[in-house]
Amino acid sequence: MRNAAPFRGGWPAAGIGLLLFFPLSSPDAFFLDVFTTGFLLAAFAASWDVVGGVSGQITLGHALPFGAAAYACALLTSLAGWPLPLAVAAAIVLAAAVGAGIGTLSAPLAGPFVALLTLALGEIAHEAAVGNTFFSGPGGYAWGGEGGIPLTLPWRDASPFLSYYAALAFLCLASFGMLRFSRSGAGLILRAVAGSPITAQASGIPIARFKRLAFTVGSAFAGAAGAGFALHVGRATATDLSLELSFQAATFAAVGGRGTIVAPVVAALVLHVLFQGLSLPPSARILLYALTLLVTLRFFPGGVVGTARDLASRIAGREGARPPGRHGRNRNGEVAR
Amino acid sequence: MASPLPQILLDGFFTGGTYALMAAGMALILGVVKVINLSHGAFLTLGAYVAYALADRGIATPLAAAPLAAVIAFAFGVFLGKSFVNPARSHPFALPVGTLACALLFEQAAQMVWGPHPLSIDAGDPWIGPGGLVVRRWGVVAFLSSAVLLWGLKRVLSSRPGLPLRLIAEDEEIAGSLGMDVEAIRYLTFGGACAMAAAAGALLAPSGAVTPTMGRAPLLLSLVVVIVAGMDSVGAIFLISIGLGIFGSACAWLLSPQWSYVAMLAAVCLLLSARPAGIVALAGRRD
Amino acid sequence: MTVRPGKTLRLPLLLIGSAILFLQYFSPVYPAATAFAASHPDALKIGVLAPLSGPYAAGGTSFVQAATLAVEQANAEGGVFGQRVTIVVGDTQGRVDVAKAEALRLVSREKVTALVGAYLSEETVGVMEVAAAQRKVLVVPVAATAEITDMVRREYARYRYVFRVGYSLPQWADMIAAFLSDRKVRRYAFVGAGIRWNRELGEMIERIVAPRRIAPAYTAYYSPGNPAFDTVAVAASAASPDIVIIADPGRNSVSFLKRLREAAPAIPALSVGGALGDARLAASLPLSTPVYVQAAAWRGVSPAATAYVERYERRYGAPPVGYSDTLPYDAVTVLVAAWRKAGSAATEAVVPVLERGAFAGVAGTYRFDAAHQAHWGTAPGALRGTIVRLERGGARIVFPPR
Repeated sequence: MRNAAPFRGGWPAAGIGLLLFFPLSSPDAFFLDVFTTGFLLAAFAASWDVVGGVSGQITLGHALPFGAAAYACALLTSLAGWPLPLAVAAAIVLAAAVGAGIGTLSAPLAGPFVALLTLALGEIAHEAAVGNTFFSGPGGYAWGGEGGIPLTLPWRDASPFLSYYAALAFLCLASFGMLRFSRSGAGLILRAVAGSPITAQASGIPIARFKRLAFTVGSAFAGAAGAGFALHVGRATATDLSLELSFQAATFAAVGGRGTIVAPVVAALVLHVLFQGLSLPPSARILLYALTLLVTLRFFPGGVVGTARDLASRIAGREGARPPGRHGRNRNGEVAR
Repeated sequence: MASPLPQILLDGFFTGGTYALMAAGMALILGVVKVINLSHGAFLTLGAYVAYALADRGIATPLAAAPLAAVIAFAFGVFLGKSFVNPARSHPFALPVGTLACALLFEQAAQMVWGPHPLSIDAGDPWIGPGGLVVRRWGVVAFLSSAVLLWGLKRVLSSRPGLPLRLIAEDEEIAGSLGMDVEAIRYLTFGGACAMAAAAGALLAPSGAVTPTMGRAPLLLSLVVVIVAGMDSVGAIFLISIGLGIFGSACAWLLSPQWSYVAMLAAVCLLLSARPAGIVALAGRRD
Repeated sequence: MTVRPGKTLRLPLLLIGSAILFLQYFSPVYPAATAFAASHPDALKIGVLAPLSGPYAAGGTSFVQAATLAVEQANAEGGVFGQRVTIVVGDTQGRVDVAKAEALRLVSREKVTALVGAYLSEETVGVMEVAAAQRKVLVVPVAATAEITDMVRREYARYRYVFRVGYSLPQWADMIAAFLSDRKVRRYAFVGAGIRWNRELGEMIERIVAPRRIAPAYTAYYSPGNPAFDTVAVAASAASPDIVIIADPGRNSVSFLKRLREAAPAIPALSVGGALGDARLAASLPLSTPVYVQAAAWRGVSPAATAYVERYERRYGAPPVGYSDTLPYDAVTVLVAAWRKAGSAATEAVVPVLERGAFAGVAGTYRFDAAHQAHWGTAPGALRGTIVRLERGGARIVFPPR
């Protein structure tokens, strides 16, 4: 079996070290805020990778557990008056339960049908969030709908430094947890199921149970990211359940490299910080972002890490694969680069 | 006053025709090139803007705009196919994301050229049918065009010229070893599908407002129709579209207009749960 | 395992590292900003927060265009304290997290003196938190939710920097109800998007007109994601109302109006404002039956309004729609007037002046109540707004009668 980790201790530690010391060079509050959001989105992207990469089930509704946790935090703290830690814990549990539900529904499906089902479920949740006005705030006016629901937080204005470090700590812990999962026995089984469902089934693995597990774990981490996001922003809005957010997670995973957990984190962080932090004029920002995606995917179709790994294994001469020819096709009939 | 139900059903019928028209191009791409083309909505938008540009210059009929839009979109689609879709197809996951990026690019370019404000083309008066039924002009056009397009697609696929397409859809390696220029057929098909999307956009433009992001909702619906119906039967796509249109209209009337979209999505989820392999069973396709 | 990963595997982390270094080098790094009260700061910058990308880019773009025009007008009048006023724009992208980050950027990095924005309710509430923490005046032009003024009222000490120039939902309903009474409407249909503020507006109108024996014959909200226009148009027509109120300010209102005209060619329509106020659309809409549009101000309402409209048209090629442009213009105008009146741009000097004074804008004279809400509506001395009827060559003011 191929050595799974391209990153050994050194590089992630270097990256984390850079990020740890970055605020000490006293950047302004805006930059710290962009990084904080970036950390949370990176954790979200990694949680997508648990489902879509490790387990091979492309989900286009991953914003559902994210937003469900955000709304749970908002409703529990603002309407039910729960203390914050309890509300966050409940939100994560809810997200995991949502994931289990999605996993159950999608287990008999494969390929584009999973994508369609998750997309439909996400859109249903988004519509429900936009259309609901069931709750009312202290002033007697309606809450919810497109405007979202505020959280009641024990702090007023969080220090940007504290937010930054809290989000970074969360990202490191969550990534560590997801990496452990993806390399555990369950994770290996999931990769096997993703690679060849028929073989896996023939060896007696309860596929449906493991697919559901992938969704549950991925959704739990997505819910944690969603709760963190709600804490950071102070509000749960319908955008937290939007299709655009679901697509964003899939995009980060595609650019970084599916199945590695770490690569989507890096891709999310780099893309988010670059494009939100550089304060480009809006049209330039979107054009550059789209072009970056296109160019990256054109030359690194397996993601930056995925394509690099292909190259590395070819250079090392594994499994009889020849180095990519100049014009020809490789063994599988694909045009090699 | 007579019950509006016949009107509701007729409108649902025509709305379904709209869905079929939007889905036609998506089906071609998914079937032959095996790509979920998320820039489909952007090409639809391109077609609508071409129709607007022509209307602005005095040529207000979308029937003239549709061929022009198709040609322009074909060129863009071939370019996209050659430069991105073909080279990146060793990794099927990169393709939808890349086409999504392309859609973002188109939307932003459209916003920069025409501005973000909603624009509009004159829809013309509707025809009044028997019993006071209002027959929407653009609805009829969409329905007829979708029928023609899908029928043409079916004919091409089942006849000699369509043989390479079907073979590539089944097995690219064999097609390649038979001497077919798989690359060229792929990007030409991609271009053709984009042309269909743009023609659809031009024909549908008068019915509403033209904005840079107008293609997002049709993209979603096309995806739903094409994935649910499966690639094996063009007729299934047409029927599913009509069914979805009528279902949506009926839900809006009987339930509530706010939740008709949710009802449609829930119906799709139920369908998927009931028939996990898609509506059209993949029976009898083994050699 | 001696796999030689090669340099490419280090690429991602190198990218992060270089990105961070690049950002640090190219973007000047400031120490965390501490609030300072300066009577005459070096430059007078107004931070404008609006969505310039995403689904609300149309409203946000007119917002920024109008704000630019207002600042140019202020400079043409000699500036403020002899200095030029400039605007710095932040694109909120229609999201709360980005709105807050951009507000932070404008305050901590660009050192703006005051903020104007945002567009959506949730964005505005997020920006309010930043304005409160940084003690900057925030003038809210649109965003009609009651939450904003409720926060000012409940926690005055924290949110007293926030002033709303645009109309609140009850005021909006009041102005629409006045028009319904004026047209002698008995039954109306209310069609909106299934979003919170559309529903609230509908409920408020119903409540206000009930004593006047005006009642809704049909109420419906369509899903903004996949609007069921056909069904709603048919049902609205079947209810035979005297007028159909279209509450959606966005692009869906255009599509819905077309459907409505097909189903009911003879029923007048009233739009609450927004997309249908765009003169460029008039050529493609059936206008034989009246289509009314509500706006904050229109050409002909006053000399100031006419001058503004003509300047806007000359500069941007099309006249303003009267809501997402006119209100931001007045927001900037009121802010600048308050600076001049206070003799200082310092927050602590400006807030009491705004609370007590009267300020001339395009829509009329702005005065703020205890919750820092401008007086709109039918009460004496309040801003009245305008309702116009769309016509091929432009639009004609029909209410309030002159």
